[in-house]
Amino acid sequence: MHVRGVRVLACALLLAIPALAGRPAAQQTASVRGRVEIGHVSTRRPAAAYPTRSVPQPALAPASEVRHVVVYLKDAPSRAVKPVRTAIRQEDENFIPRVVAVPVGSVVEFPNDDPIYHNVFSLSRANTFNLGRYPRGQTRSRRFDTPGIVKVFCEIHSHMTATVMIFSHPWFAVPSEDGRFELPAVPPGQREIVAWHERLGDKPELITVEAGRPSEVNFVLPVPRQ
Amino acid sequence: MRTPPRLIARTLAVTLVTVTVMLSVVFIVLTIETRDRVRAAETSKLDATEKVFSQEEAARQGDQLTMLTALAEHPRIKAAIDTYFSEMSFGGVPPDQEQSLRQTVRRQLDDLARAIDADTLALLDANGRVFLASGDARDHWPVGQPVEMFQNVAVLPGGEAFRVTAAPLRLAGDRDIGTLVLATSLDANYAQQLSNLAGAGIVIALGDRVLARTVSDEAARALVTAGAELGPMQMLDDDEYAIQPLFSAGPVRIYSLSSIDNAASGPTRDALEALGAIAMGSFLLATLGSLWLARALTNPIDTLSRDIATMSAAREYGRMLQPTGSSREIDGLATAFNDLMQGLTNAERDTRAAYVGAIRALAAALDARDPYTAGHSERVSAYSVLIARELKLAEADVDVIRLGALLHDIGKIGVADEVLRKPGPLSASEFEQIKRHPALGARILRQVPFLAPHLPIVELHHERPDGKGYPFGLRADDIPVAARIVHVADALDAMTSVRAYRPSRGTSFALEELQRCSGSEFDPACVDAICAALPTASPLLEPQLQELLGRGV
Repeated sequence: MHVRGVRVLACALLLAIPALAGRPAAQQTASVRGRVEIGHVSTRRPAAAYPTRSVPQPALAPASEVRHVVVYLKDAPSRAVKPVRTAIRQEDENFIPRVVAVPVGSVVEFPNDDPIYHNVFSLSRANTFNLGRYPRGQTRSRRFDTPGIVKVFCEIHSHMTATVMIFSHPWFAVPSEDGRFELPAVPPGQREIVAWHERLGDKPELITVEAGRPSEVNFVLPVPRQ
Repeated sequence: MRTPPRLIARTLAVTLVTVTVMLSVVFIVLTIETRDRVRAAETSKLDATEKVFSQEEAARQGDQLTMLTALAEHPRIKAAIDTYFSEMSFGGVPPDQEQSLRQTVRRQLDDLARAIDADTLALLDANGRVFLASGDARDHWPVGQPVEMFQNVAVLPGGEAFRVTAAPLRLAGDRDIGTLVLATSLDANYAQQLSNLAGAGIVIALGDRVLARTVSDEAARALVTAGAELGPMQMLDDDEYAIQPLFSAGPVRIYSLSSIDNAASGPTRDALEALGAIAMGSFLLATLGSLWLARALTNPIDTLSRDIATMSAAREYGRMLQPTGSSREIDGLATAFNDLMQGLTNAERDTRAAYVGAIRALAAALDARDPYTAGHSERVSAYSVLIARELKLAEADVDVIRLGALLHDIGKIGVADEVLRKPGPLSASEFEQIKRHPALGARILRQVPFLAPHLPIVELHHERPDGKGYPFGLRADDIPVAARIVHVADALDAMTSVRAYRPSRGTSFALEELQRCSGSEFDPACVDAICAALPTASPLLEPQLQELLGRGV
């Protein structure tokens, strides 16, 4: 839902740019495009003498790792963006999708699609909450009014985790499955574009945005092999 | 010359030296044997300990891991840590949030640490740094410090080492956000526990450093220094140790070791006590045995020696030695001695018989020179014996007198026949010739050593108590009693014998004449003796005498 919302928004902006081309205000921004690649590196194994109990994992492969990346403009001026309504489902003891990015004021729903109880809580400063336990078919939701990062967990299933990133500006994107992203109408000047990954945190790139000229920035993230 | 030692001393010495040598050998063998056994026992004890320890440790590790894996599923700890590091990487964590998150984790961790009674329950972040630690030893786990993790062992920046079990904190997508570590301090306390369990010394080493020990510092250091060259038996600080590595991980080594000297002291002392008792018994038995043996030899020998000495002193050469009954050999010796003495006695009797015969033959030859003096020497001998017996002289003296009397006139060999057989009275010079016969006889006898006892009789049988005799004119007591007896007997026979110039004067006349001259010419005791003895002389006692007397009368 959220992804679709972002795409709709992005498409609308893209369509709007040529329409606004003749207007001087439109001339003062430029889009930033790019591609995120995930390069695997060997992971450091925990020190344990005996094989640890594996956390049960769904048989399905998770969505492409690039879907756990959020590209955003750092230190951007606040600008009101229309809130959206999106959902993080609880399915096979996982939050799906694991990463969402929304503007301030958006509401995230947490429908329980599993035949078991789930719980949703967060200790994050941006939004501390506990939606309690609820069974299959029920949905509980939470509005995110503070920009920042909110980690969401299930009190019953300790491995379940999701991230909600809340922005007070429109310059953020989750790459498409082929890794491509575009931040439209970025104000010109020295800008810091950051690719955040749930394991790696922020990876910044400095670019100079010139009005009317689209910039390109690519990220290669070394993500520990799973 | 040195006096040879007593037999008993020799027996004792030999026996005791033998026993001592045997006991010494037993002592040495026993000591070595005991030590060998202790070595084997200690080695197998440590071996068994190592097996038990390995199994116990495996079981403990398994239990701890199961427990820890369950603990690592704690949702609030995971949430707090993941939130902390996510926020940290996104925009930083303000102090109040940090405190709140850490507090959340700390509370959970403290509860868990208390519940499982761990030295330390530590939470490491994804980079292996300490996020939080709980438990008694948490001060060794400073927040933010990296921990060197080996299999089952963690080495901390402060130089401490811990036995650890670790379980990852894992989130969806196999994402490890940290490690939960259950740590047991490898300190003196742990070493002591292991030592109690193993019943042996324990040394915990980190590299070439001694972390903890229950043996002496020197031994522990020597053990750590020996390192790779350790054998199952090792000299450490002048003491032999059996050594068994219990555990090895990373730079940490745990050894169990046991001092052979300590372990051997008990059994060795027991063995020596037993040996000491045996030694006492052996010495006692050996002493008694050798004393008995020596006495079994020396006692009969002493008895025989004493008997022989008594025999020698009493000149009773005919007496037989009594068999001692102690041993065949010694009785054989006694019998041989008896046979020897018997032989000697027989030989002496034969010799004596031969020489008595010779003397008699000599005396008879002498008497035969003059028909009137035939049998004179034999008769004088018989009278002399009669007197000697009456005077209660010793039998040996009687023997001397008997033979002496037979020989008393031997000197007359040197007197010319004319003088000797002259029927009439002798001239002075002839008498002088006669008077020379005692000295002459003495001179002849002096050349025959075994006739020496008879010499005084031959030389002095014409001396008179009043000093008017010849050759020396001795007085009374200066004249030997044997000579006095023979003097009386000679006179008696002379008076009772027929002479060429007169008939026999008769016995009673002769006796009266003797009594008349008693004191002056004759010894009164001898005269009294012959007067008492002659009339009652039993022909049964002295058959020869009757014959002799008959012939003489």
